[in-house]
Amino acid sequence: MQEKSVLITGCGIVSAIGLDCGQVLDSLLKVRTGVGTLRYLKTGHTEFPVGEVKLSDEEMQRMMGIASDTPSTRTALMGMIALHEALGQAGLNRDDLKECGFVNGTTVGGMDKSEQYYLDFIENDSRNAYISTHDCGSCSEMIADRFGRFKMITTISTACSSAANAIEMAADMIRLGEADIVVAGGSECITKFHLNGFNSLMILDHNQCRPFDAGRAGLNLGEGAAFVVLEEAGHAAARGAKALARLSGYGNACDAFHQTASSPDGEGAYIAMSKALKEAGLKPSDIDYVNAHGTGTPNNDESESQAMKRLFGQYMPPVSSTKSMTGHTTSASGAIETVICILAIRNGFIPVNYAFEHPMENGIVPNMDLNRGCKLRHVLCNSFGFGGNDSSLVLSAVE
Amino acid sequence: MIMENKSVKILSAKQISIQNPLAEEWMDNPLSYTEDYVRAVDPDFRQFISAGDARRMGKLLKRALATSLSALHEGGIEDPDAIITGTGFGSIENTELFLDALVREGEQLLKPTQFMQSTHNTASSLIGIHTKCHGYNSTYSQKGFSFDSALYDAWMQFRLGRIRSALVGSHDEMSPVFSGFVRKAGHVKEGEICSEAAVSVLMTECGDNAYCTLDGVKLLDTPSEVTLKQVLADMTAGGINAVMTGMSGNAENDSWYGFLNTMLSGVPQLRYKPLFGVNFSSSAIGFYAAACCLRKGCVPAVLSASGKDIDCRKGILVVNVVEGRHYSFSLLKSVCGK
Repeated sequence: MQEKSVLITGCGIVSAIGLDCGQVLDSLLKVRTGVGTLRYLKTGHTEFPVGEVKLSDEEMQRMMGIASDTPSTRTALMGMIALHEALGQAGLNRDDLKECGFVNGTTVGGMDKSEQYYLDFIENDSRNAYISTHDCGSCSEMIADRFGRFKMITTISTACSSAANAIEMAADMIRLGEADIVVAGGSECITKFHLNGFNSLMILDHNQCRPFDAGRAGLNLGEGAAFVVLEEAGHAAARGAKALARLSGYGNACDAFHQTASSPDGEGAYIAMSKALKEAGLKPSDIDYVNAHGTGTPNNDESESQAMKRLFGQYMPPVSSTKSMTGHTTSASGAIETVICILAIRNGFIPVNYAFEHPMENGIVPNMDLNRGCKLRHVLCNSFGFGGNDSSLVLSAVE
Repeated sequence: MIMENKSVKILSAKQISIQNPLAEEWMDNPLSYTEDYVRAVDPDFRQFISAGDARRMGKLLKRALATSLSALHEGGIEDPDAIITGTGFGSIENTELFLDALVREGEQLLKPTQFMQSTHNTASSLIGIHTKCHGYNSTYSQKGFSFDSALYDAWMQFRLGRIRSALVGSHDEMSPVFSGFVRKAGHVKEGEICSEAAVSVLMTECGDNAYCTLDGVKLLDTPSEVTLKQVLADMTAGGINAVMTGMSGNAENDSWYGFLNTMLSGVPQLRYKPLFGVNFSSSAIGFYAAACCLRKGCVPAVLSASGKDIDCRKGILVVNVVEGRHYSFSLLKSVCGK
């Protein structure tokens, strides 16, 4: 059986720096951060800057034509907006979806409503509809069902690498001929639950986050959703779908070190990146840009720097963390950053690591120049999660 | 190197549930319950985990580790190439503790350990950390379809030639508070026992003394009748002795399996949910039970509708239907006589 080539024929994105691909591209080119004062989440922790999507739940419902009394979660609504754009770009309609797979990544699921109505769940029956929207799987169903019935649906929940692993699973399905098209990505809204969780772990920065900076003091939570349409090359050609990029390799590894910390030498990250390069048939020197996981926590950026230095040696390509502008969109980040990489490849620029000032000891020095007009052939996109669930994708330009 | 026709050996399968743990006593002498919410019968965890570690872990993690380590031990493998896990809710007890404190006491003094354990991939990561496995590691969370998704992923990794062994599991615990929630949401229905389950299955490319082999996995959402017929024809072409269903005795749930009466007429239908209850990891129990039957060469009367033992030296098709839309089919074949 012939190995199949996996193309990306559609992208959709919603994030703090824009509500579609065009807006996100504009923000990346203007180096505009979406991180700022908390506005939509109802929490006492207003001291933490966040990368919120600049829409209320009601505004998102109106955008999607959903009645205001329909039980919806913020994660699902953002997912619908991103999926709508991705399907539109790939030219897929309701009937086409019957032959497509759908793999979503989320961890928070419907927690935004559960934390609002938890006491109602216990004491009365007024909010029972939101019990059914609590779990990760129901979130994927809500997103998908808005557009029709897919051939199969599932949900990956590997914390902050969920969306990257969803894209990997989708690509495996295409390689094996299980489907010609699989739509994959992730969605996650900010909740009080994980804002407080990250705060209890003391990894939130009270200021704009500064990935790879000597003075970095933690991450800023972000939110958003992104989906990519993965399609077998022959299938895309036959229906005349335009390829935006190629997913040429990917790797998944476990750091096997600690539930919430990365190993000092970044073993899991190193293995994930190495596997991705090997599968793509590339050498480290073939990579023109790395979109780092780069959360801005002292631990991640140190560990990821070591892994990259080990992998690239003297061939260190430009590296940046776009979480400096989007915030850390947790389970969605792998898909959001995949779309950002595709925008960079297609528009010939290297995203800037916003807010970086001072190099850290033994760290990489991130990219601060857009390099407009550059040619990116192959780009590496890193997503690392709690529990050491590390994944890395190689995205390549298509001729 | 992609394999068109693959067969993977099931080297061991272990469960902790409302039946006696890490054993197959349920085949002959099942525990029976009159309550509608029953927690798992736990083994002595000290043989798997130090007391210090155990104190920091919720029930789900302890059970996940116990079933995993005992499956690895029986299969004689220390470090599998892949660890793939399903869970519908993750560690719901720690999630609930954190959520309850957040809602009732506000956004101060929340416990990081509870938050950390609320993340669904904690079990898969813990097994990775404990066995020092740097290989493929993933977690699926799709309601009662989580195990099926994890199994499908493992099946793909084998076919892609990426792995030679995999530990595939599914783990769900159930707190008293959430047992009320799942009733309200209809995840557990009238007449069904709301329960807990932890299952680990070790699969390898080769090895002796396998329970059975896995010869196909298929996942579908809202399939047409034509698709269902085709899948069943493909999967039963080599002959099967029985079909393991998720029927529970609840009329709505059982109606989702109605297609088997016409499309697989004459094939005995088995049911495990009356013995093991219902939770998001139930389908892993169905898979485990089918593997145990094939190992024995016989389906015990407690699983069969006829109330009689059924000879099974060919194979069992495991069918799971969730909410009338998510369908999974996994084909297990006997190694008897091979």
